[in-house]
Amino acid sequence: MKALCWQGKNNVQVETVDDPKVLNPRDAIVRITRTAICGSDLHIYDGYIPTMEPGDILGHEFMGEVVEVGSEVKRLKVGDRVVVPFTIACGNCYYCKNQLWSLCDNSNPNAWIAEKMYGYSPSGLFGYSHMLGGYAGGQAQYARVPFAEVGPIKVPDGLSDEQVLFLSDIFPTGYMGAENCDIKSGDVIAIWGCGAVGQFAIRSAFMLGAEKVIAIDRFLERLNLARKANADVLNYNEVDDVVEELKWMTGGRGPDACIDAVGMEAHAHSVPALYDRAKQAMMLSFDRPLVLRQAIQACRKGGVVSIPGVYGGFLDKIPFGAAMNKGLTLRMGQTHMMKYMQPLLERVQKAEIDPSFVITHRLSLEEAPQAYETFRDKEQQCIKVVLDPWKEAKAA
Amino acid sequence: MTISTNVEASREQRNSSDQYPSRIARAASVLSGTALAALGLTRRGWTRTTLAASGGYLVYRGITGKAAPYKGAVRVAFTIDRPTEEVYSFVRDPQNWPRFLQGIEMEPGQEGSLKLSLGKPAGLDICSEAIVTDERDHEHIAWSSLPGALQHRGVIRFRRAPANRGTEISVAFEYRVPAGPVGRALGLLVGWDPEQLVRESLRHLKQLLEAGEIPTTLGQPSGARGVKGKALRVIYREREDEEIRLAGD
Repeated sequence: MKALCWQGKNNVQVETVDDPKVLNPRDAIVRITRTAICGSDLHIYDGYIPTMEPGDILGHEFMGEVVEVGSEVKRLKVGDRVVVPFTIACGNCYYCKNQLWSLCDNSNPNAWIAEKMYGYSPSGLFGYSHMLGGYAGGQAQYARVPFAEVGPIKVPDGLSDEQVLFLSDIFPTGYMGAENCDIKSGDVIAIWGCGAVGQFAIRSAFMLGAEKVIAIDRFLERLNLARKANADVLNYNEVDDVVEELKWMTGGRGPDACIDAVGMEAHAHSVPALYDRAKQAMMLSFDRPLVLRQAIQACRKGGVVSIPGVYGGFLDKIPFGAAMNKGLTLRMGQTHMMKYMQPLLERVQKAEIDPSFVITHRLSLEEAPQAYETFRDKEQQCIKVVLDPWKEAKAA
Repeated sequence: MTISTNVEASREQRNSSDQYPSRIARAASVLSGTALAALGLTRRGWTRTTLAASGGYLVYRGITGKAAPYKGAVRVAFTIDRPTEEVYSFVRDPQNWPRFLQGIEMEPGQEGSLKLSLGKPAGLDICSEAIVTDERDHEHIAWSSLPGALQHRGVIRFRRAPANRGTEISVAFEYRVPAGPVGRALGLLVGWDPEQLVRESLRHLKQLLEAGEIPTTLGQPSGARGVKGKALRVIYREREDEEIRLAGD
């Protein structure tokens, strides 16, 4: 089959590789009909995610048709159309039983590496480093899905692939980012980053009762898409101080909750930003936690800072005194996918939201290497790339 | 840490291995010491002094045979979300041992003893025989090795976890390998780390009992690995030549 493989920093290639096989009794093989490039794939592309191996198949947002099941898979059958969540969970451990799916005890074959770095290992993920499992990802024509009865959800025929594909990651991730804010009717929520997760966080915050959402970014197309969802927008390139601006926009109170939908590769034009970039370049740190610093500083007293953005290692100069003395609540984590997929599928079915609004590029798998570059550089107003792994590349 | 088992390794036994490390170990000490000293002499400043001195010490120990055995202690605990009786019975059944033991082969020997083999790292056949020294159903199993190059003794405990979280299983043991830190370092080089073997074995036990299978990626497709990718697979212990384990079936 064809698959997109990581071959080093800024180097991904479409290669012909073996088709995946069932390796464990609870596995299924899925023929992928649509797959997407996630903002967090760019962290890998840019070389900031440790424990990648050349040859790794990337991709963790995919869906398709079940073509083979292992001997212990009863609830799925060949022919079922499913969306696959990016987290892999066994369904039987303490964490799975308590809806903390992304913390599953039993799905990471390389748990010992994660334990060395984090103390304990989170769940395995598709296509996201060997510390988090080393599972082959879904930017390919087929994928092996472990614990296939736990993760994938069947989707009804009436909905198109594009309408349900983002149940694999970014819609639940944006939703959990908003849900973690404990939104009460009338709350004001500030969201850093208007990429795909930010866009879903904006819409989810309104669904959960926010009165006002302030969307922060620097790209006009992203701010425009936020505005379409009735968010107030703040272009950080046009203001001196984001924290002061937020204070001004919220009657001097500050946002009730702040969402960091950016993560480890934040951009800004300031002295601290240059400092973070230099540290990252010298491999002293993997993370540039600029947004997190601002979010903690900007959040009102007793508020919540919710962090769906991905961080990898040790963060520098976090204003923890501000967090402590203002009595903030910090919430974070990879998304507990299986808790959200079914309820959010129902919202799509009821036409409360059509997640395909976020797609800007529809390409073939062959065009993925170019798409990574376009997405990284935010060229062609790129917000979300969806790939059809079976489509022939357009002749140049 | 002390582990209380009913068998205390005899003093003579300890002394004998203190005094007379194996020839292989002594040769290894001399060789590695010489290499280290030679490397040191090619360097400058502090590196030179440190490497040369350490090398010299290893050569001295190799020649004089004064290498104390390496003593290690390992403690590993997991919580398995299954009833204590079930975990205990599963562990006690020799038929299940190959399903979860990682890098250790164990089988019942004569008169209730246990035969352990750590495979053949670098062609060295590392074997040991042990006896169960104390046991209480659903509570603990203590063991001690019979005289041999590799000495070890320890206890496996089973305890009901609070709040219906299943069973806390813990393994605590002490071991002595001949040839001191050099022996241990050589062991680590060929992938023999007792802590790792026990931890991954217990993890497999938990995965089998909770999830019904041991998660794996061995046998999945990938693009061209290249030299760097293959080297990383060794570092991350994902070597393809390992047997693909179809657990649970």
